[in-house]
Amino acid sequence: MLWAALQLPRDLATPPPTDVQRHLATWALQFTPRVAHLEEAVVMEVDASTRLFGGRRALRDRVAAESQELGSIGLAWATNSLAALCLVRAGIENGFKRPLPELLDALALDVLTVTHPHAATLGHIGCKVLGDIRKLPRGGITHRFGKPLLLALDQAYGVVSLGHEWLLPAEDFHARLELMARVELAPALLAGARLLLLQLCGWLAARHSGVTAITFGWAHDTMRAKHVEATGSLTVRTAIPTRDIEHLARLLAEHLTHVELEAPAGEVMLKATEVVKMEGRSASFLPDVVNRKESRALVRERIAARIGPENVQRPVLLEDHRTEWTQHWLPTDKQPPRRKAAPPPFPAPTSILEEPQPLMVRNHRPYFQGPLKLLLGPHLAEGGWWHRVGNGAEQHHKHVRRDYYLAHSAHGGFLWVFQEGKEKWFLHGSFS
Amino acid sequence: MDLQHPAQNTATPMAEPLPSHVEASLWRADQLRSPPTTIHPSGWAALDAELPGGGWPGMVITELLLSQPGILEWRLLAPALRPIVAAGGEIAVVAPERQPAMAGLVQDGIDPDLFWRYAVKEPARRLWVTEQMLKGNGCDVLIAWLPQVRQEQLRRLQTSAQGFEGLCFLIRPAHTMKDSSPAPLRVSAALATDWDLRVRVAKRRGPVHDQDLLLPAFSGGVERVLTPALRYPSQLDDRPILPIEVPNALGSTPAPARSRNPASH
Repeated sequence: MLWAALQLPRDLATPPPTDVQRHLATWALQFTPRVAHLEEAVVMEVDASTRLFGGRRALRDRVAAESQELGSIGLAWATNSLAALCLVRAGIENGFKRPLPELLDALALDVLTVTHPHAATLGHIGCKVLGDIRKLPRGGITHRFGKPLLLALDQAYGVVSLGHEWLLPAEDFHARLELMARVELAPALLAGARLLLLQLCGWLAARHSGVTAITFGWAHDTMRAKHVEATGSLTVRTAIPTRDIEHLARLLAEHLTHVELEAPAGEVMLKATEVVKMEGRSASFLPDVVNRKESRALVRERIAARIGPENVQRPVLLEDHRTEWTQHWLPTDKQPPRRKAAPPPFPAPTSILEEPQPLMVRNHRPYFQGPLKLLLGPHLAEGGWWHRVGNGAEQHHKHVRRDYYLAHSAHGGFLWVFQEGKEKWFLHGSFS
Repeated sequence: MDLQHPAQNTATPMAEPLPSHVEASLWRADQLRSPPTTIHPSGWAALDAELPGGGWPGMVITELLLSQPGILEWRLLAPALRPIVAAGGEIAVVAPERQPAMAGLVQDGIDPDLFWRYAVKEPARRLWVTEQMLKGNGCDVLIAWLPQVRQEQLRRLQTSAQGFEGLCFLIRPAHTMKDSSPAPLRVSAALATDWDLRVRVAKRRGPVHDQDLLLPAFSGGVERVLTPALRYPSQLDDRPILPIEVPNALGSTPAPARSRNPASH
């Protein structure tokens, strides 16, 4: 058995479990289903999970780093939950360094809550550490202090096991957090958002799910202008379900740079809007093709969050003879059509201009960085009478009738030019 | 016992150099670093012979210095891209000078489903996208048009590229050749006569290359229809073209057609 106790500052005003404790427990559920509240701490049993998280050392480092971010002030490991709690209160992290009775014997009495009502009496009879009580006759302890003290001692030393009420992850995720200070710039909300994301990822792991959309919100305080709403929010979507905190944090950061807060915010909240089941994948020693594809999608998503999804594009071939309509660019958030157009059977330019560029004509010859020699053609492209654009009076159709040529210019390379009407030449693309 | 002279331990010069693929995977104990692990043949034996390792190297940035952007990029790169795309590799272009046309590129073996364009304009954004792609290993071939980039920014890209497994080409203007650059490989390319490209390895790890290579390069499926006259347009006579009437189609009034070549009638 490997128990961890995560200590939180004792809050005398609210009886446990406090909000912070609940948050910490939600996060802890990703490591093991055996998580419980124990007085002001959260305890969890992780013996069966050490392999999954890369061994005891790796697990300990991760738990220590992330729990500290969530507000935990101490961490201890022992063979049972009550011993771990005693050790964390005494500030000892490793309960496996020496035999447990030896470690516990040396601890001051107040680490065990049941001794608190009897602190004065125990002091008078010369008990300063837990070991001193253990030396007393058991019958006498029961007689003088009642059963709970002896039971708690036995539970801490592992003689009697302690029952827990295991916590279950909530059905949906909605967390809020009061910020340390009022925040005036949206990107500064990220520090608070990270704590919420940490909980979210723990909750998702416990439920074997991933998110495709999260809603991040903030509440303005009462000192705000009249026209400003009390809260604001933004929704972040991902293409594939994820519970990777780094990816979600980066996406959120990119989105927050576009946000301008209308008033200082004092509270942030996070909600998992769309949750889907996600299967865990076995780790592999070999580079994984599927994994690589996924990580590429993440890179694209991150870039799209900054430059806009409409600027991350993939081409779709269209079956059209008009050069400017042979393809269009699909934003990354749109699905490509299932039916693929066949490529043209004849040579086609490898780059095209956005707009045909009129060419100078001199001595009946088109010029582009020198006189052009027409090599292939004419290739008649006619069509588009069905293609209407615009509305009302501005409506016109995109009908074209052009003779295309492959032309060569000594300095401009191989060009795709067309003639429309008499001696009207245009550059439309190049074989570059 | 006679002691042998230590000189016997020096390597005997080899009669002929090893084949390039053997050379690429061989580490000699007197080399400081092993050659880059991924090498993709450029498609021309003459160019491969001049590139260190025998092809375009991965995990570094390669600069292509062009006198004019948008006139020969695909002709130079398509032969190297074809096998990469056939193996399922993704191509990403950042801020291409001219809009890539898939109808032609498909005929050079590039799959539209494995092609991504990052349409950004500002120099800072171009750099940022390029760096993110390099750092995140976001594609197998990255081609970025970076006309304005400072030396320290290039150094940053070169550092990011060390974890990048694919090929990275940065298209820069030819006049930057005189500036120093942290890129380990710089190649200048220009148009030569007919379908040839004039290519020179301006900087490489190894001896200086001071000879122009003439490489026949085609694109857009032109090579399938080339006639001798098309292959060598410089040998066509320079007569002016007669004004051409567009031939009639679909119901327009017939006009006396003047043909380019009256002899055929």
